[in-house]
Amino acid sequence: MNLEAFLTQTLVGLYTGSFYWLLTLGLTLIFGVTRIVNFAHASFFVLGSYLMYTFYIYTNNFILSLSAATITTGLIGVIFEITLIRRVYKIEEMYQLLLTLGIALTLNESQKLIWGTSPKYINMPELISSGVAIGYTNISYYSIAVISIGLILFIIIHIVINKTLWGLKIRAVWRDNIMAQALKINPYLIYTTVFFIGIALAGFGGALMIILHPVGPGVGDHLIIYAFIIVVIASLGNITGAYITSLLIGVISSLATWLAPEIDIVIIYLITIIILLLRPGGLFGER
Amino acid sequence: MSKDSSEKVSRRDFLKLTGAGVIGLAVGSVLGWALKPAEFREVTSTVTIPREVTITPSVVRKLPKDAIKIGVLGIRSGLWATYGDFIEQGAKMAAEEINARGGVLGAKIELTFRDEQADVVKQARELVDVEKVDFIVGIDSSGNVMKVGGIIDELGKILIVTHAATHRLTEELVYKQGKKLIFRSSVPVYQDGILAAYIAKDLPVKKWVGINGDYEFGRVSWELFTKTLKSFRPDVEFVGEQWPKFGTQDFKPFISALLGTDGEALYTSIWAIELITLQRQMIEMGAYKKFRAVISSLGYSMDVAYALGKDYPTAELGTWVSGRYIWLYPPTDLNKSFVDRFRSKYGKYPAYSSETTYSAIYMIKAAVEQAESLDPDKVIKTLEGMVLMTPAGVRWIRPEDHQAIYEVPYGRIVHKGAEIPLLEDLKAVPAHMYYKTPPFT
Repeated sequence: MNLEAFLTQTLVGLYTGSFYWLLTLGLTLIFGVTRIVNFAHASFFVLGSYLMYTFYIYTNNFILSLSAATITTGLIGVIFEITLIRRVYKIEEMYQLLLTLGIALTLNESQKLIWGTSPKYINMPELISSGVAIGYTNISYYSIAVISIGLILFIIIHIVINKTLWGLKIRAVWRDNIMAQALKINPYLIYTTVFFIGIALAGFGGALMIILHPVGPGVGDHLIIYAFIIVVIASLGNITGAYITSLLIGVISSLATWLAPEIDIVIIYLITIIILLLRPGGLFGER
Repeated sequence: MSKDSSEKVSRRDFLKLTGAGVIGLAVGSVLGWALKPAEFREVTSTVTIPREVTITPSVVRKLPKDAIKIGVLGIRSGLWATYGDFIEQGAKMAAEEINARGGVLGAKIELTFRDEQADVVKQARELVDVEKVDFIVGIDSSGNVMKVGGIIDELGKILIVTHAATHRLTEELVYKQGKKLIFRSSVPVYQDGILAAYIAKDLPVKKWVGINGDYEFGRVSWELFTKTLKSFRPDVEFVGEQWPKFGTQDFKPFISALLGTDGEALYTSIWAIELITLQRQMIEMGAYKKFRAVISSLGYSMDVAYALGKDYPTAELGTWVSGRYIWLYPPTDLNKSFVDRFRSKYGKYPAYSSETTYSAIYMIKAAVEQAESLDPDKVIKTLEGMVLMTPAGVRWIRPEDHQAIYEVPYGRIVHKGAEIPLLEDLKAVPAHMYYKTPPFT
């Protein structure tokens, strides 16, 4: 086996995995706490991209636009949470699926009306053309940043949930909603906050990725499939599991692209089937 | 008595008459002056009549109804929705022009747009059964075109395909199965595969890699490219191929795998937003430092040209691109005027499927006028073998397979500070040389 190729594909796979992680982080967080399976998640991710595009055109400032796109996406998510999603917390999942699917369609069509049908991206030549030559490819500073940001976000979320009082409240609501309410924790406040953070993270991911991943109407429909494969393999709601699974899927698919280009797509689905057969609760599911 | 009175005109009467005459002359001269522009207009319209024979009232009665309804199918939702816009723009422009000049044998063209992504068979049936269209034009996806083609005899209306490129449409459905209602005004996949090999054979590189969509169009274009190039240049080798699926957002593992080969040049028939993404990620990964030439068969589609703009990467031996029509070719007055009118209407250069749809509507006009009927059998007969001057040049509708034969060049991307990158070194080959010909063995 060619070691250089192996290392290069693995590194590229880490980028792909980090891309998947930014996509699934908010989805996992929201499901973990609110038990809502949010089919509109990738549409919020795409909304983040579009908002980034618009903010960047007006400000020409990357960091400012990234922050504005993140917060705006989160706030739009909160509007949907307060007006619509809050009504389906305690009823069957089918209604949640239908509602979030409806939100996804609404977002997709609104994006088409606002930003048109032609693809958009922002160019940051200095970010993508310079980097480190590893193996036979250029790993740009941008790619390195995406991988690092993915790891940093994982650490931050892990600390917030496991080491802070607010995290303790979240875990209380997640574990035993009634008992949490008896302890004067307002679950709806927790839900809304978590929804804001989860959707803002989707917006952040989309905004960050628009440099290398041009956005067009309906991009989310293709992304949501990957997001669900990952959360299902990891077991829905498990943050650590989602991070590890994202990176694993990224690296495995990248290696498969190199070693077995004819069947690389099938491999991911095969892995999903095998894992679900062996561990129906997902790789990191609690038994 | 009357005679007497007429003879005895008093001085007073005389003055009255003279006064009236003077006033009459004055009024007349004023009227005459006022009528001058009208006379001038009349003269011009007389001159233009030979070019617009269809507007004479005697011909109007030849069609059984006042409107020709055309159903337009295109992708109007999802990732490729911009292609539905392109089709719509071309169809609307043609219909408006034709209607402004009196329509087709006096009948106005009415367009009905439908999204082919929302179950194309259902949409096609509804166009025929509910909207009562006389013709169907458009269709972006090869998969969709084969579905509609399969039921075309049930629909009983003429379909002019303006984008989907699968060779099976004209070779299998029309030529072998005799589904005569199907025509195509746009180029087939030979443009992507075979003509690309004509470009590749002249480039001083031997080792090629390919990245193409994991679906029929991607597979066929790569197969045609490799086979044709090998026949021209037995010394070339194909050292890597990758097959990303529809809707891929992350091409980096694929690009990286190709960078790991000893390929010198890259061929791709990936299109639309995926091509923009692929190019962005190829720039990032340094692919343009490795590949000395890049051929991108749909690289001059207007969504790609506008999106990449000044960032459109150029390889050392050229980034060679084409489409199903290139706005700067051929340099005829007809094409220049089309491009100008399109730009003043939509603010952008015409996309290829805008032209192919625009020309399809004119094909319908020409055929209906010649057939003097909307009866599909009669219109088919006039369409078969028709030669039509269109913005893309002369189109000949080959009678055997109903494929429009016209040439579209490849060109090398250059940046001249224009709104979009331009093309140099345009290379065109007469279409009959690289289109497969009946009996398609």
